[in-house]
Amino acid sequence: MKKFSISVLGQDRPGIIAAVTQVLFEQGFNIEDVSQTILQGEFSSIFIVAGPEKSDPQALVAILNKTTSALNMQFHVRELEGNPPKWTQSACQSFVITTFGPDQKGLVAQVTRVLADFNVNVTQLQAAFRGGDAPGSNYMIYEVDIPNDIDQQKLRDTLKGKCRQLNLDVSIQHKNIFEAVNRV
Amino acid sequence: MLTNREVLSVLDMLRNEHLDLRTVTLGLSLLDCASDDIKRFNAKIYDRIARKAENLVTLCDQIGEKYGIPVVNKRVSVSPIAVAAAPFNSDEMTTIAQTLDRAAQTVQVDFIGGFSALVEKGMAVGDRALIEALPQALASTQRVCASINVASTRAGINMDAVLLLGRQIKAAAQLSAAQDGLACAKLCVFANIPQDIPFMAGAYLGVGEADAVINVGVSGPGVVKKAIDRAVAENPTMDLQQISELIKRTSYKVTRVGELIGREVAEKMGIRFGVVDLSLAPTPNVGDSVGEIFQSLGLKSIGVPGSTAALALLNDAVKKGGAFASSNVGGLSGAFIPVSEDLNIAEAARSGQLSLEKLEALTSVCSVGLDMVAVPGDTSAETLSAIMADEMAIGVINKKTTATRLIPVPGKKAGDFAKFGGLLGEATIMAVNNGQGENLFIRRGGLIPSPIHSLTN
Repeated sequence: MKKFSISVLGQDRPGIIAAVTQVLFEQGFNIEDVSQTILQGEFSSIFIVAGPEKSDPQALVAILNKTTSALNMQFHVRELEGNPPKWTQSACQSFVITTFGPDQKGLVAQVTRVLADFNVNVTQLQAAFRGGDAPGSNYMIYEVDIPNDIDQQKLRDTLKGKCRQLNLDVSIQHKNIFEAVNRV
Repeated sequence: MLTNREVLSVLDMLRNEHLDLRTVTLGLSLLDCASDDIKRFNAKIYDRIARKAENLVTLCDQIGEKYGIPVVNKRVSVSPIAVAAAPFNSDEMTTIAQTLDRAAQTVQVDFIGGFSALVEKGMAVGDRALIEALPQALASTQRVCASINVASTRAGINMDAVLLLGRQIKAAAQLSAAQDGLACAKLCVFANIPQDIPFMAGAYLGVGEADAVINVGVSGPGVVKKAIDRAVAENPTMDLQQISELIKRTSYKVTRVGELIGREVAEKMGIRFGVVDLSLAPTPNVGDSVGEIFQSLGLKSIGVPGSTAALALLNDAVKKGGAFASSNVGGLSGAFIPVSEDLNIAEAARSGQLSLEKLEALTSVCSVGLDMVAVPGDTSAETLSAIMADEMAIGVINKKTTATRLIPVPGKKAGDFAKFGGLLGEATIMAVNNGQGENLFIRRGGLIPSPIHSLTN
């Protein structure tokens, strides 16, 4: 069996998942993981599937395009390597970084540059910029994995310094606090 | 994956509603420091506290930063000194209080509790020496808190102790007259004192506890008030059962914070985790007030008719939500109504909407009692004892904790202003009605027997 990642993009409407998964079923693929989201009417999803040895990414894209042409979707298929090395050998802890503050160009780029420089991996990102000065209208929520082998105090200081420059309020909190407070 | 609502609601509680961990209190047993040599005893207890609590403040700050939740107060409570230091006289007891003060300063905690005695049925030598030392001990230290348990449902009320404490409170007030009787703000007189209170001034480590234990006190009146305000704005016809449910859920969230951080502090210190005390404890800041919750519930002010019912609802809902959130609940657990420490309650006392008599009624359904109540400086020791006896009776008969922290402010009268500073706040002095003249009942002394446990009417 080979493993593939399939990404699907396009305008949201009923029937996209039904059409895509029907093709996968008919071509002998088994779905292992799916994630999907919709932003401002735009559909995006990623599938991890296992399929027959003879499967070919280009051929699969061609079948998907042909059978779902009425939906006008874009597909990208990539074969996955067996066991790729992880981005860090260190154990990690999950933190949530939240920023509030007025919108301007480059906020995500500059915040994530700091994270990248410290080898911090973003695992989820939710951001909304609705304009104006209301803090609740302009936020970024990063769920990140912070390796234990980095200087966490320096990361905090650098990130806080950067956010001060960008006129953002920032908080960096271990993820457990949100789970403890919100979930039974 | 967290939802943005889960993240934003927690941040809102932190940024706008004063959510914090009110106190992490390290309880330390001093019983094995026993000695009949005062110098040796003082050296041993100083070393014990300085060594065991050395990292408490740093660790709490680190863990607070990790979760983004401030641990506002770090404190230490110790075994009741009247037991641990039983052989010593009252002058020596005062040096013990000063040693505790020095140790608290060394480990940078703002208060240390446990200058305490348990005398509900009778006074032993050590108890008497400690009570005699109270005025000097409290006036000559900054961080030491004292508590005396004078009553319990099983033993009754030790009226000899109550009478003696009335005099000692007057004396303590005189010794700290320049600070409006501040020494009295560090003394709680209890009925049914729990062994594991993390909050001051009542914290001490009970004799039934382990060598060392971490107890935490969560708070969050601002969070509860905002939750009610938001819900009522969305649904103005909300009934009290729905509001109770809402307070329960909110109390759950607040308690979870204490549970998570408390356990981690305990684990990092290698000490067992004791309890979460899920109390709504106000501070003298706008938006961090228990009094404001009464207004959110629809009352004009705390103290007006309906206040006792509102407090009963609030106290019960807080307990229900908190008990579900933590497997180790203890301490006082409920709502505090300390007059000077809560801007809104202090204002109700000033405007006359809250009287001492109504406050006493409220204490029959809340978690503590007549707390941080400034009374006129000319209130007699007997009258102070009588007020205490009334409050103890409420606790003893209703099988609950009650306490008094009364401050007869020297040279000031009802309606004047008393200022204690910091967390202890400031308040208008409340009138003691019908308190003049002799009180032969109180002077009789002896023991008010423990109540019958059947025929409950």
